[in-house]
Amino acid sequence: MNFDLDTDQLDAAAGARQFFDGEAGPARARAALEGGPLAPGRPALAGIGFLGITVPEAAGGAGGSVLDLAVVAEQAGAVLAGPSLVTAARAAVLLADQPDLAAALADGSRAFCVVDGDHPALDAVGADTFLALVDGDLVVGGGDVVTGQPMDATRGLGVVTLTGTRVLVPDAAERWARARDVAVVALAAEDLGTAARAVEVGVGYAREREAFGRAIGSYQAVKHALVDAWVGVEQLRSLVWWAAWAADAAPGELPLAAASAGAFAAETLERAAETCIQVHGGTGFTWEHDAHLYWRRAKVDRLLLGDTAEHQDVVAGLVLAGALS
Amino acid sequence: MRTTTLTDERCHPVDFDDTPDEAAYRARVRAALAEHADELVHLDAGEEAADPREQEQALRRTQRVLAEAGLVGVAWAAEHGGQGGSLAQQAIVGQELARARVPSLINHIGIGMCGPTVIAHGTPEQHERYLARLLRADDVWCQLFSEPASGSDLAALRTTAVRDGEDWVVNGQKVWTTLAHVADFGILLARTDPGRPKHAGLTMFVLDMHAPGVTVRPLRQMGGQSDFNEVFLDDVRIPDGERLGEPGEGWRVALTTLLNERVAVGGGGNDLGLSVEALARLAADRLPGLPADRQVLARQALGRAAVAALANRYTGYRRLTAISQGGLPGPEASAGKLAGTAAAKLVADAGVRLLGDDAVFAVGPGDDDAGRWQRNQAWLPGIAIAGGTDEVLRNIVGERVLGLPPEPREDKHRPFHATGSRA
Ligand SMILES: Cc1cc2nc3c(=O)[nH]c(=O)nc-3n(C[C@H](O)[C@H](O)[C@H](O)COP(=O)(O)OP(=O)(O)OC[C@H]3O[C@@H](n4cnc5c(N)ncnc54)[C@H](O)[C@@H]3O)c2cc1C
Repeated sequence: MNFDLDTDQLDAAAGARQFFDGEAGPARARAALEGGPLAPGRPALAGIGFLGITVPEAAGGAGGSVLDLAVVAEQAGAVLAGPSLVTAARAAVLLADQPDLAAALADGSRAFCVVDGDHPALDAVGADTFLALVDGDLVVGGGDVVTGQPMDATRGLGVVTLTGTRVLVPDAAERWARARDVAVVALAAEDLGTAARAVEVGVGYAREREAFGRAIGSYQAVKHALVDAWVGVEQLRSLVWWAAWAADAAPGELPLAAASAGAFAAETLERAAETCIQVHGGTGFTWEHDAHLYWRRAKVDRLLLGDTAEHQDVVAGLVLAGALS
Repeated sequence: MRTTTLTDERCHPVDFDDTPDEAAYRARVRAALAEHADELVHLDAGEEAADPREQEQALRRTQRVLAEAGLVGVAWAAEHGGQGGSLAQQAIVGQELARARVPSLINHIGIGMCGPTVIAHGTPEQHERYLARLLRADDVWCQLFSEPASGSDLAALRTTAVRDGEDWVVNGQKVWTTLAHVADFGILLARTDPGRPKHAGLTMFVLDMHAPGVTVRPLRQMGGQSDFNEVFLDDVRIPDGERLGEPGEGWRVALTTLLNERVAVGGGGNDLGLSVEALARLAADRLPGLPADRQVLARQALGRAAVAALANRYTGYRRLTAISQGGLPGPEASAGKLAGTAAAKLVADAGVRLLGDDAVFAVGPGDDDAGRWQRNQAWLPGIAIAGGTDEVLRNIVGERVLGLPPEPREDKHRPFHATGSRA
């Protein structure tokens, strides 16, 4: 048994962290709320190769595993990067036998969005190529996007009406289900990064800020809240890695692992973000402080691709069907 | 649909399967367990633990047979009577024992905590005297740390040991001592210098539980069983040769025990109560019989509990990987016990809810499931206390892992006798 990242993945994480720290960050996420552009944005993500991590080498991608992608997605989540690697991961599965479109995904020449019926779709804003499951077939086409005022502008959410679609893969329900599971894993990986960063920011403040003559982090109400959030992050990391590994190495385990990661990610990020605000007191409630940007991510992501209750129900169904025996 | 063709050139590092060596080892373990099946205690279906009070001799024999088959102390060095094997092998033995429904070893405290402490701090003579017998359960061990006035604040303990010629004379009381009623030896933390600050005045000893002046009185737990005891120590003489580590070094020695304890209890991601697999079986059995609206709630509880249990299990795999790559068990193990306790409570609660109205009875008429899940429910409050309470573990993680500022510890630097907790 070996359950840890390998050196390539650790290097990839370090490289991704450096890239994202330079190209994105909470300040850019805040600016996006006021109409600023996404950061790093699609061209930069394509340029460094992050949109094609799981695209086959023959189609211009890196031919990597979902775990390779999850490691990078965590770093993207830490700085609230957009557009999401969730869309890249999901589209790569859907386009597995479509080298031209897969190449356009990897090099950023097309802006993909994957649509689940009339639910708000991730990365719909600015997308030009839409993928959807219609009557059991995978279709591709254009789309009209209606957006609301965003909670978290980095997610590019919009409701899509498909236009001019053609069937790409008939009878694609199975592939669609796998792609959705992979998307849930990538989302959980981004949430892992966001949650870890929110806890880190909270811990940093709790070490410095003083009240009643002591650092607030010495008070157990503050200390224990941060510990509980951190323990959640470490538990989530295990589920994310397991699910990402399963996507390639044990596809039979993917549905259970993905739903577990999805359910746990939503609650973990929410607790981390809320704890981050609470620990900062009034400062944490201001527009200028970053805490609300993590919180926004939490409040939006927990509803994407199934909420906690839906994921838990999937887990329950699989367990009742013998997934653990 | 797999994408493994794309990763053929790169050996994928994450791997939950046995290597060929591990698979061969597992086969050997299985064969040994089958060969000795008649000599081992086995749990009945539905039974979750064996009571050492009732089955002491059979449990001792079980451990001896396993030791002779090379299945105890797998990862201990050969010079200490172990097999010099890997942690992975030790984990395999644990899995196979569970699979064969062999109850946890009677000397689990000796193997998990006392033995490693003797190994780390004992003299070669002490190694010789104790370790092989411990592995064979010729001697059962217990841990004599907690006292009526000091549990979490262990270093404030009051039991004294006073030097008298070649002996130490011990007076005081220990409490919550698991297995003391069957134990032959215990590791005993006592105060040898009340004039020094509380951590600096302690010394560790090996106590012969059959020595004159040692009185063990069972305590009854909230669930009705009696796993732990009070131990009274009246003018008990311990030869100086039974000291573990130098006088005044007892706290450092105790830290070895406590670190090992947190790995043994939950740090490896093992289930701390009934397993999620047991919950799955109960659910498959019971859930379809519940009214429709109850089924929705029961599914929710089942899903939540399964997710928590899996998160804890896979975190344990990460920790075992880190330890087997040479990392020492660190304060992170405390996080494992915290999460494991929380997961065990969710599993327990989901199980009890599946009992429906039967859940108001400690054991319903003619219902094995109910008794089992109720005993599990009544056991878990103890898990949140034993081996470091949830709150104390949060302090440890907060300070040692996250680097948050420490608690105020006003008595830390004062001589113990000046702290108001007179020995
Ligand atoms: C099933 C079981 C088996 C056990 N087996 C053994 C054994 O074999 N050998 C042995 O030596 N001991 C054993 N113990 C004892 C166990 O280690 C102690 O009970 C435990 O350390 C708590 O100590 P206490 O009971 O004195 O509670 P206290 O320390 O008095 O704690 C009472 C409450 O105060 C809280 N508290 C205390 N200090 C702090 C703090 N600094 N910050 C926040 N909250 C705090 C605690 O979390 C707890 O909620 C066992 C206990 C149980 C339940």
